[in-house]
Amino acid sequence: MKIMNCPLNGPRNISEFVWGGEVKPMPDPAATSDQDWAEWLFLENNEAGIVREWWCHVPTSFWFIAERNTVTDEILKTYPAGDVFKSRVDFAAKAEKQS
Amino acid sequence: MNAIAPASHLRRSFIYRLLAASGAEFGEVNGGAVALHYGGSREAELATARRLGLADLSVLPHGGFKGKGTVEWLTAQGLAIGPDSNVAYKQAGGEWAARLAPTEIFLLDSLAGTGALLQRLNAAWQWAAAAPRPAQGYPMPRQDSHAWFMATGAFVPEMFAKICGVDLRREHFAEGAIAQTSVAKMSAIIIRADRPAKDGRVTPAYHVLADIASAEYLWTCLMDAAAEFDGKPVGLRALRDLEA
Amino acid sequence: MIPAFVPLKILRYGFRKKYPAERFIPPAKDLKKSYDVVIIGGGGHALACAYYLAHTHGITNVCVLERGYLAGGNTARNTAIIRSNYLTPEGVRFYEQSLKLYREFSQELDFNILYSERGHFTLAHTDAAVRTSRWRAEVNKQLGVNSELIYPDEIARLCPHLNMSDKVRYPIMGALYHPPGSIARHDAVAWAYARGAAKLGVEIHQQTPVTKILVENGTVKGVETPRGTVYANRVMQAVAGNTSMVAKMAGFRLPIRTIPLQACVSVPLKPFLDQIVVSGSLHVYVSQSSRGELVMGGSTDPYGLYSTRSTLDFKEGLLGHMLELLPMLGEVKVLRQWAGMTDMTPDFSPIMGLTPVKNYYIDSGWGTWGFKATPVCGMTMAHTIANDSPHDLIKPFYLDRFVEYAQVGEKGAASVGH
Ligand SMILES: Cc1cc2nc3c(=O)[nH]c(=O)nc-3n(C[C@H](O)[C@H](O)[C@H](O)COP(=O)(O)OP(=O)(O)OC[C@H]3O[C@@H](n4cnc5c(N)ncnc54)[C@H](O)[C@@H]3O)c2cc1C
Repeated sequence: MKIMNCPLNGPRNISEFVWGGEVKPMPDPAATSDQDWAEWLFLENNEAGIVREWWCHVPTSFWFIAERNTVTDEILKTYPAGDVFKSRVDFAAKAEKQS
Repeated sequence: MNAIAPASHLRRSFIYRLLAASGAEFGEVNGGAVALHYGGSREAELATARRLGLADLSVLPHGGFKGKGTVEWLTAQGLAIGPDSNVAYKQAGGEWAARLAPTEIFLLDSLAGTGALLQRLNAAWQWAAAAPRPAQGYPMPRQDSHAWFMATGAFVPEMFAKICGVDLRREHFAEGAIAQTSVAKMSAIIIRADRPAKDGRVTPAYHVLADIASAEYLWTCLMDAAAEFDGKPVGLRALRDLEA
Repeated sequence: MIPAFVPLKILRYGFRKKYPAERFIPPAKDLKKSYDVVIIGGGGHALACAYYLAHTHGITNVCVLERGYLAGGNTARNTAIIRSNYLTPEGVRFYEQSLKLYREFSQELDFNILYSERGHFTLAHTDAAVRTSRWRAEVNKQLGVNSELIYPDEIARLCPHLNMSDKVRYPIMGALYHPPGSIARHDAVAWAYARGAAKLGVEIHQQTPVTKILVENGTVKGVETPRGTVYANRVMQAVAGNTSMVAKMAGFRLPIRTIPLQACVSVPLKPFLDQIVVSGSLHVYVSQSSRGELVMGGSTDPYGLYSTRSTLDFKEGLLGHMLELLPMLGEVKVLRQWAGMTDMTPDFSPIMGLTPVKNYYIDSGWGTWGFKATPVCGMTMAHTIANDSPHDLIKPFYLDRFVEYAQVGEKGAASVGH
């Protein structure tokens, strides 16, 4: 079986992981347009080549980032999400519409 | 201890019917019905535990704490917890504090099963009345979320090799090591906790914790994997005898 | 005993000029400078579209550009299941039209595609699956599609080989039974459309990848290939697993992920399994081909890839579950295995019709379930291109449904059943 290196648990069978999709910057849900929100939700680069993605180690629910080549099926690098996201992102709650 | 019918106890294992069908005789431990032994002679069951035995400890007290400040708070309560995650730390009373993550501790009672430590901790933990609340984690009840099995004996690593991708042989998986991994295609936590006898003889032993809703499935898979090595169910008495 | 003169007779017949071996498509010529329509991709969908453009709309100045060989993509890799028992009214209507075209196919195109009605069983192993089956049956019947929820006694009667024991991990509790469910010879479908289109004047160029798409002021002008630039008034793409990469050349992104889907066949066995059997809970489906091979598949790979490699994990999982349904296959060997790259959408419905680029059309998001739709896709895309306006049947599958949150959720009917 293919082996992936989990930054928390070390090398494990790929069957212990779940693919989470591309890392993309999330727009501020309170400030963004429906169009931009839908694009963030649904549109994919779906690159043939090197991609940066979310992965989850299921037994520990540990989310991390992996770089892999989608043409050669090679995993190049895995690292904790904290290496990319250095600080907590807070979004203000959208003000309720007054009727 | 007198034999009891597990159905007469509110606290009984999810898989008590499977255990009973294999000949388990139950006794009361800390108010719950636990499979103590399986018919045959005490020596024979101990020999099985040395070779390959599977025990169900789900009724014994287990629980945990989680969140920012957990380890600091538990340390203040007198527990000895080391710095590494994925390592279980043995406590003075024979309990295990399994550090699953920097801020998550899974607690397993000793095989005496009195639940004294967990009771003391649960009583001591209080949510501060008002903010600012200290970072002290919060209780993580596990008694009814996790089935708790123990696999013992020389053939355990070979048995696990059939259903789990992590190498559990002694040279690679030290005492106290934790693997949070997949066993028989379901998520499970394995903790190495050998049973040393007074005469110096050490029996390899591993705790297995997994979603209680699938306890019957996992038990059946483990029994199936063990059959090849003549593994059999053993009771709590045999596990205790391993340390005698 | 055969009289000695028979072989001679056959030889003489063979050498007569009166019955030359048929060539499906004329030998390749040079590319012209421009065409009315250029179609990117040479799979079943592209060829069907070319055929209907020429046949129904009289547009014959059409060029099909295929980077490899005809039908070398998912068209010849699928497990050839054809059915219309979907979940949404939009879906059911669309696939039902495809079945109608398939039934008349061999006749209309004068090409035997071995269309074979088998009956399609979607097994339900949980209460939730029984509920979804009932839901699908009701939607189907409302739209005139033959589809019924049946229970174990009837399943056992119709499909006596299935393991109906309750001593398994997922006992069979019911099934959605769809008598019109069929299989057909998939490459024949593509060849028939290719031959039909070529007879009407369509040019088919193999070994000709599109490497760039020319867009000016938001309007497509043509495409580039290693054999030169080709101008076109209208361009359509139908490239399955490469959908996102080709759309990117045209300048837009899609809600699509490319994920491999694997399949395999057993050694040929005497015919014993008439039906097509699908199990969502077990992630398997199986039918027996006219050659006697069991054609077997499951759900897509666990992660995206532009590759057609096969894995042992897939076969282990698939065959383990297969043995739960048909335990007597224990000693049967796997003969071949393969994979295709599927273009998966979030709602398990296709993306068809107009695009952000003027005069540029798309037939995509066919994921793991587009073989059955080959005729109707050709028909509706030809209409869409000829009129620069989407055919009624494909309107629900427009690209902007994702921005408008108007998805057509077919996961319950398409995720393993294909
Ligand atoms: C294993 C498997 C099983 C399946 N089972 C079923 C099933 O049972 N029932 C069902 O209905 N569907 C099934 N499907 C799905 C079905 O096969 C596809 O949806 C359908 O065949 C798509 O047809 P197509 O013509 O759009 O794509 P393809 O046949 O893949 O054709 C696309 C063509 O585009 C070409 N191309 C790509 N890029 C370029 C470029 N830049 N320039 C020129 N040409 C290019 C490719 O070479 C390819 O030949 C299955 C798919 C797979 C992989």
